[in-house]
Amino acid sequence: MLRLNRSPDRLAKSSEPHLQVQGVTYCYGNTAALTDINLTLYPGERVALIGPSGAGKSTLLKLLNGTLTPTTGTVSVLGVPLADPNPRRRRALQQQIGTVYQQFHLVENLRVIHNVNAGQLGRWPWYQALWSLVWPQGIETARQALARVGLPDKLYSRTDRLSGGEQQRVAIARILVQDPAILLADEPISNLDPARSHEVMTLLTHCGQGKTLIMSLHALEFAQTYCERLVGLREGKIFFDGLVTAITPQQITQLYRLEP
Amino acid sequence: MSVQTVPRSFLLNPLLLLLGVGLFLILSRVEQPWFNPDGWPLLAQFLSASLQPDLSAELLMITVDATLVTLAYAVCGTFLSVLLGLVGGLGSSAIWWELVLPGQKGIWLVLRGLLAIPRGIHEIIWGIFFVNLWGLDPLVAVVAIALPFGAITAKVFSEILDETPRQPLLTLIQSGVSPFVAVVYGLLPQAFLNLLSYGFYRFECSLRSAAVLGIIGAGGLGYQILLSLQSLRYNQLWTFFYALLLLNGTVDLLSALLRRRLGCTPRIALPQGKLRSVRPQGPVLLVVSLGLGLLVPFCFWYIHPDVSKLWAPHTGELLAQLGQSAFPPELTMTTLQQLLPLALQTLGMSVLAILVAGVGGVLLSFPAASNFRRFLGMDAPWGWLFLLGVRGVLLLFRTIPAPIWALVFLFVLFPGILPGALALGIHNLGILGRLMAEGIENLDQRPLQALPGASPLVVFSYGVLPATLPGALAYTLYRWEVCMRETVLVGLVGAGGLGRLLSEQLSSFDYRGMTATLSVLILLTFLVDVLSTQVRNQLRYGINTRKSGIIKGGS
Amino acid sequence: MSQSRRALLGFLLALPVSAQAKPLVIGAIPDQDPELLQRLYGKLARYLETELGVAVVYKPVTDYVAAVTAFRVGDLDLVWFGGLTGVQARLQVPGAQALAQREIDAQFHSLFMGNKKSGLRPFQDLKGLASLKGRTFTFGSESSTSGRLMPQFFLQQAGVNLEDFKGQPGFANSHDTTLRLVEAGSYEAGAMNEQVFLKRSETGAVDYTRIQVLWRSPAYYDYHWVLNPTVQARYGAKFAERVQTAFLQLDLKVPAQKEILGLFGTQRFIRTQNRNYAQIEQVARQIGKIK
Repeated sequence: MLRLNRSPDRLAKSSEPHLQVQGVTYCYGNTAALTDINLTLYPGERVALIGPSGAGKSTLLKLLNGTLTPTTGTVSVLGVPLADPNPRRRRALQQQIGTVYQQFHLVENLRVIHNVNAGQLGRWPWYQALWSLVWPQGIETARQALARVGLPDKLYSRTDRLSGGEQQRVAIARILVQDPAILLADEPISNLDPARSHEVMTLLTHCGQGKTLIMSLHALEFAQTYCERLVGLREGKIFFDGLVTAITPQQITQLYRLEP
Repeated sequence: MSVQTVPRSFLLNPLLLLLGVGLFLILSRVEQPWFNPDGWPLLAQFLSASLQPDLSAELLMITVDATLVTLAYAVCGTFLSVLLGLVGGLGSSAIWWELVLPGQKGIWLVLRGLLAIPRGIHEIIWGIFFVNLWGLDPLVAVVAIALPFGAITAKVFSEILDETPRQPLLTLIQSGVSPFVAVVYGLLPQAFLNLLSYGFYRFECSLRSAAVLGIIGAGGLGYQILLSLQSLRYNQLWTFFYALLLLNGTVDLLSALLRRRLGCTPRIALPQGKLRSVRPQGPVLLVVSLGLGLLVPFCFWYIHPDVSKLWAPHTGELLAQLGQSAFPPELTMTTLQQLLPLALQTLGMSVLAILVAGVGGVLLSFPAASNFRRFLGMDAPWGWLFLLGVRGVLLLFRTIPAPIWALVFLFVLFPGILPGALALGIHNLGILGRLMAEGIENLDQRPLQALPGASPLVVFSYGVLPATLPGALAYTLYRWEVCMRETVLVGLVGAGGLGRLLSEQLSSFDYRGMTATLSVLILLTFLVDVLSTQVRNQLRYGINTRKSGIIKGGS
Repeated sequence: MSQSRRALLGFLLALPVSAQAKPLVIGAIPDQDPELLQRLYGKLARYLETELGVAVVYKPVTDYVAAVTAFRVGDLDLVWFGGLTGVQARLQVPGAQALAQREIDAQFHSLFMGNKKSGLRPFQDLKGLASLKGRTFTFGSESSTSGRLMPQFFLQQAGVNLEDFKGQPGFANSHDTTLRLVEAGSYEAGAMNEQVFLKRSETGAVDYTRIQVLWRSPAYYDYHWVLNPTVQARYGAKFAERVQTAFLQLDLKVPAQKEILGLFGTQRFIRTQNRNYAQIEQVARQIGKIK
């Protein structure tokens, strides 16, 4: 395994790490999907997770947002282990992590406003959340978020009537409303054409200002354009981890090479 | 293409073996003699009265009131069973337990098991039970429908919820939303239309149940029909019959229309994999919510059930009394010796009934499907009349409650399992025929278009038949369990089997004996459930059926 | 929920069971045409209201079992029971009292009826019941004393078991039905209440060309009024006696009362008591209608 210069010094000294992965291994049954992953992310970093299909990128993101629990090792968010047995505390922690998906995962037969509001449900008491389905709450927040993603007039549209690009922007608006410290994106642009992809990437990096952004990407040129740090995953292990500028084309070729 | 789903080992199928055994059981146990030719004159009187229903103003007033009572029982019962179904369905769904208490599979299984108990007991037994707690209150009928139907609805709802795409829900959970709110936002909106569609179907079933409950004295059309049948006033009887037909016909029609508008898969169609998210056409939801908003309060007002009885201390005392007199069940050697042959008779009755219903249902479903005429090139106007005629017959069959059919058969047959089996068979034939016709109407047209220029008969036997038969067979097998549960109904009016014994025990207030009989009956129902599930699984597409949830019906 | 709303809700829920307004609920086993019953008991309810000074309502019941159950649950306070159902009711409600009955009820009879075409001949002795072997036969309701319990008892004494009939015996739900079924020939023979038969015969509702009486059974105690002990708490300790007096006072000379007596088919009501029914209870236990 190649291990190049660790995270940039300018961030290392500024604050505590936002995300810390320590000695994490994850197994599906008997097959190890990830082995001994160590990763530290500092506030404001923009990290691209790259590597061939099946390298474990999605699994790693699922470990980071708490969908999966590591077989061994710990994932800490803002210095607190994510695997808190207390559901209330764990939920409070998860509110600090926002995730954008390749398939958007919106509730298609709800109106856009409800999908955007899904971002603030965690902060509302349950009765307010239920009432909002009847009488939408937090309209101003939602409207601002939609304006930022360029859909100011779609507040009351039905989500399933939107195009793919628009749906992804609704998903981003949801994250804006959630306002998490950490932003995860799992292949956010693989369903979009190049023009839409640039739009979405610009939005993500824009929204991610001041937040830690980590996204898995297939398109290398997007990773190099929009991110400052690349983490290469191969066969469940970290293959390289360093600044975009420090990764050589040979390393990239090595990362994606087919087994002889 | 669905032709490939016809099972290869069709002839060796355990199903056929089972039916053979069932037939043997019946034939060896039919009491000699079974036919009573002396009853013809009364039957003829009964039939000829159909042309001269009593239309006097006084009777019409009674009819309107009875119709409203039956409708109100059905509406209130369905309303409560859907509420119960929502709570129970969420509580017994796999997804809820994965989210809230992951790793507690034990509790989940226990919950599912608990829900099976109210489901395994027929509404009429619940009715008899609640009469012992609440006397003659309309609450009895409402809860007798709501409880077992709530459990069935819970099962189907949990299946629908588990088959609904769950990623949006997980996304909410991951962003720290509490599971309850996450389910309301991420799962229910997507499952909503499928749930609603099933709710409508449940309403059709509730209506049939409401009529049946009249027979234990809950009032309404069922009661009036029983009364006029037993006091041999056939002209009045037919007035009530026509009212019941009108009521059921309207509800079935509206419900089918709404379900189609909602865009949901018909229950007999076999969905591949996950449920799709559906989109209603037109302002269906508005109409539905307006209708429900008016109808439900009206119905509760019309029958005004005394809900305070639910928690009245007197209810508790009576329950304790009942518990004392019903336990332990009387399971001595002598009662077992009495129960075993009756259990076999009852099993035989259910097999014969489902045979009648299945074969008749398949035969009548084709002419009852609106697209059938095209296959046979029957576009003439009489084709429409024929279609309406067949549908009318199916409606009549399923609308008249099974015990009433049994009483009609008892004109010319001696009490025993034969009139009971025929009554159950005819009633379920009406239900199966309609569902199968819906299935045929929703048939995938592509395989049929692949047979261009073929004669209608060829299209029918190579295209339509193979595509519909497997689903029909699977649903018939499912319906077998319902038939088993309903044997008690026809038994109560004297048509043999365990139901007959139960009726005798009931009039002797032999609660211990009743508990024993009921236990045997529930055991039989579970047995039939397991058997039918096994066979359906062996029919390969049956695996889909079992998982699909929407195919699950109820009475 | 606010205090006042909770109070309102409680009030609404309590309304239907408000104790003061609860009237005396009378009922009857549905042994005859329900329309007749409705007319009869409507008039009786009005008479009792004036005599007892409490509100009285009649609640129709659909079958014998429901009548007993409703009596036990407390839905019915004063019920016109048959011999068997009365015993069943008193066994389930300790303290319930048999109060009054018609003169004929102390000397009640069942009739065995035969269809003329069946070739069955009338007979004078209980042993004659043996001629019903191999015939089709219908009882009345399962819980009827005169249509089922006593006929089955007499049949047993004559050595006729239920399996000896042709096919299974039927159970018609009322005496009127039994009459019509045997008349039409659906069953060759049947057993029914003598008093109902006589009343139908008087009004010409019996077709003697098609049906005949085969045998009149020995006498036994049958119908009677039974009072639920819970009414004493509601209307005072002497209430049972007042109800009894109200029945005994029914007088042929008063036109309204004559009508009630006429509908019951009697000249007057007489006193009765629980122990008159010891024989019925014994027979019921023997036949298995009481466990």
